[in-house]
Amino acid sequence: MLQIEQTNLLIQTTLTDKIFPEKDAKGYKSIDRIISDFDFTTYHISTLGEEKHLLLISIYLKCWDDLESYGVVKYLQDKYVQFEEALTILPSGDVENNYNYSFVLDLAKLEGQSDEYKQSVIDSLALLKRNCMAAPLEKAFARYDELAQQYANSNTYAEEIQAELQSEKVLVINYRGIDESIYIKPSFDRVTVIFSTIFQDETDKIFGKVFLQEFVDARKRSVQTAPQVLYSHKEPPLDIAHVVKSNNNTDADNKGYITFVLFPRHLVRGDKRENCITHIQVFRNYFHYHIKCSKAYMHSRMRFRVKEFLKILNRAKPENIDNDGSRIENRKTASGRRFAQ
Amino acid sequence: MASMGTPAVVMDNGTGLTKLGFAGNDSPSFVFPTAISTLSASSSKSSGNNAKSTGSFLSSKRGLEDLDFFIGNEALAAANGPNYNLSYPIRHGQIENWDHMERFWESSIFKYLRCEPEDHYFLLTEPPLNPPENRESVAEIMFESFNCAGLYIAVQAVLALAASWTSSKVSDRSLTGTVIDSGDGVTHVIPVAEGYVIGGAIKNIPLAGRDITLFIQSFLRDRGELDTSLQTAEKIKQQFCYVCPDIVKEFNKFDQYPQEKFAQYMVEYADKNRSKTVVDVGYERFLAPEIFFNPEICSSDFLTPLPTVVDQVIQASPIDVRKKLYKNIVLSGGSTMFKDFDRRLQRDLKTLVKERIELSERLSGGVKSSGVDVQVISHSRQRNAVWFGGSLLAQTSEFKSYSYTKQQYDEEGPNLVRNFSLFK
Repeated sequence: MLQIEQTNLLIQTTLTDKIFPEKDAKGYKSIDRIISDFDFTTYHISTLGEEKHLLLISIYLKCWDDLESYGVVKYLQDKYVQFEEALTILPSGDVENNYNYSFVLDLAKLEGQSDEYKQSVIDSLALLKRNCMAAPLEKAFARYDELAQQYANSNTYAEEIQAELQSEKVLVINYRGIDESIYIKPSFDRVTVIFSTIFQDETDKIFGKVFLQEFVDARKRSVQTAPQVLYSHKEPPLDIAHVVKSNNNTDADNKGYITFVLFPRHLVRGDKRENCITHIQVFRNYFHYHIKCSKAYMHSRMRFRVKEFLKILNRAKPENIDNDGSRIENRKTASGRRFAQ
Repeated sequence: MASMGTPAVVMDNGTGLTKLGFAGNDSPSFVFPTAISTLSASSSKSSGNNAKSTGSFLSSKRGLEDLDFFIGNEALAAANGPNYNLSYPIRHGQIENWDHMERFWESSIFKYLRCEPEDHYFLLTEPPLNPPENRESVAEIMFESFNCAGLYIAVQAVLALAASWTSSKVSDRSLTGTVIDSGDGVTHVIPVAEGYVIGGAIKNIPLAGRDITLFIQSFLRDRGELDTSLQTAEKIKQQFCYVCPDIVKEFNKFDQYPQEKFAQYMVEYADKNRSKTVVDVGYERFLAPEIFFNPEICSSDFLTPLPTVVDQVIQASPIDVRKKLYKNIVLSGGSTMFKDFDRRLQRDLKTLVKERIELSERLSGGVKSSGVDVQVISHSRQRNAVWFGGSLLAQTSEFKSYSYTKQQYDEEGPNLVRNFSLFK
C-alpha cells in the first residue's frame, strides 16, 4: 500500500451493510458506532431512537472553527445537496452534542433508488473528512482564480502589485492543535501551501529529514511536473512569518515547515484541481505513515542480520585442542578406542 | 495530552481471525483472517534488474517490495494469483513471524482503522502463558515503530471474563472464573483468579471448530452428497447444529419425526447461473457438537469429554478459589455458540460434582457438604467475547492509568511490560 486511501473504509463498509442489506434480513437493525480518522477526527453513526430507518451521521473535527470561518458549511451543503431526497443536513442548532456536523440518512427513502445512486451516497459520505478539509483549499483556489484574472494584463513585477500580493490574506488551519497547522496563501500565479510539523520522537525527526530531502530531490530527478517542495527547520518561511504565533512555546526548536508551491497546471479546474486537493491534505498522514513503514523495514533488516550473525556464531565452536596442540578427538583410550565424536 | 479525547484501539489478533475496532463500540469494526500475503522472492527478482539483485542488498533498496503486501481477505484473494505467498504470522496463539506481524499491524492501523497511532491508546491481547519476551517484542514494535501513545497488553481469558459482565446471570463483577475458549484451532480451559491466570492448571483440548467442520464434511462424503466442500460444511455447522441432552433419545426423535428434524441446505454459489444444489442435513446436526462431550466419536487419541476436563482444571486450582471457579464458567469463541451448549455442560458438570460430594460425604461418615454451585454463563457477545471485553475495559476512565505510556517506555525500555499491570 503506497498511498493512503482518501475514503474512510469503515464508513464505507458500515453504510454498505446498511444500504445494501442481505436478502433475508428483516427490517432495520439499530447501530451505534464510533469511527475514527486521522487528525483527531471522530465519526458517530447511530440510529435515531426507535426510528431505525433513520441514521444519524456526525463528524467531529479538531479544526472545525477554522474551517467554519472558511465556509465549510456552504461547501458541504453544495456537495451533499444532490442527495437531498434521502440525506438531510441538520441545521447547526440540532447537531449532535460534541460533534460539529450532522446528517440524517433516511434508509427507507433510499430503498426505491437505483443502485448507482445508493453507491454514490456511500462514496461521498465516506469522503466526508476530505470534503470538510477541502473547503479552505477550495476558497484559496477561488481567490487564485480572481487574482489571476485581475493581474492577467498587468506588470506583476511592479512594486505596488508585489506589495499588494505580499499582503494577501493567509488561510490558517490548526488541524492538529496549535502546533501543527496548514497555511494557504493564494497568489496570481501560484498557491502556496505550507505545513508546519512537529516530531515527538527523536528517531522520527531524522527519518523525516531524509524523507523531506527526497521530496526536494524528486523534482530534480524525474518528476518535473510535481509541485516545488521546500523544507525549512525552525524558521517559518517569509510568506507566513507574520501569522505564525510568536514562538514562545517550547517545541519551536522541533518545528519544521514544508512548503508546497502549486502552479497553474495543478490548479486546472475540474478533476485535476479536485485531485490536488485530495492529495495535499493527506500529506502529513502519508508522511508519517511512510516514516513508520521504513522503520518497520529497518527492523526486518535488523532481524535478518541478527539471524545471520547467530548462524555464524553457532558454527563457531571452539576447536578441541589440548595444551600440546594435538586434537583431542585423535586421542585414544588405553584399549585403543577413540572417543565418540 | 493530545490523545485524551480519541477512542482507544482494541486489537485482538487470534490464530485464525483478527478483530479490530475502537473501544466503546459493541462489535469489532473489522473481522478478517490473520493472514498476510507478501511478494514471493522469485517474482520480485524478475521484476527488478534481474542480473544484480540476487547478490547485493543495495540494488533492491530503491524498491517498494516492503510495501507490496495485502492482509486479511485481500491477502487470501491475492494469494490465488501467481506472485504472492500467503502466510499466517500467528501460530497456536503466539506470534511467530515478527516481520510479517509488524507489517500486518501497519496495514491494520493505517488502512483499516485509519488512525494516527501517536494519538491513540492501544489494547492488545495475548494468549495465556505468553513468554515475557514476546510481550517485550510487542512493546518494541508498538512504541518504537508506531510511537503509540499508550499500550495495554491484556490476557485473552481475562477479557473474556470481563465480557461476561453483560450477562444477567452475573451478579458481581469479579475477575474470578473458568474460561472455556474455543476458537478454530484449539480449545483452552483456563482458570482465572482475581485477574491472574492460574498457569499450572490450564488444559488444552485438541478439538475445536475446524474438527467439527471436518467431521460434518466426512458425514456429507459418506452419504455421497452433491456438494461436500468445506464451505458447505462450515455453513451447515453454523446454521443447523445444536447440542442435544441425550444422543439415544435424539436418534429416536429423528426416527419418529423425520420431517421436523431432517433439514435441507441450499448451497448458493457466487456464480448465479449455476443451478442450486440441495444438501440434506441429518444426524450431524446434533452429532457434530457432540464431539466435545463424547470425543470418541471423532477422535481416537483424545478421549476426555469437555465437562471432565473442566472438572480436572478446577480441581487442579488452589482450593480456596474452586467454589468461585465452579460458579462462574464463562464461554468464549465461535465454537461455543451451539444452542444449548451451556445447559449440557452445566448438567454434565453438576453430575460430576455431585458424585464427588456424595462420595466424600459417605467416606467422611455423615458430614454434610454445604454444596457447590455450578453455573455456566452464556451471553450474546460470546463470539467476539475477547474483543468485546477489551472494548469494555478500554472505555473506562481508569484504562489510561493502567496503560504503559510512551514516556514510561522511553524511560525504562521494553522491560517495562514484564510487569503485569492488573485491572480491578
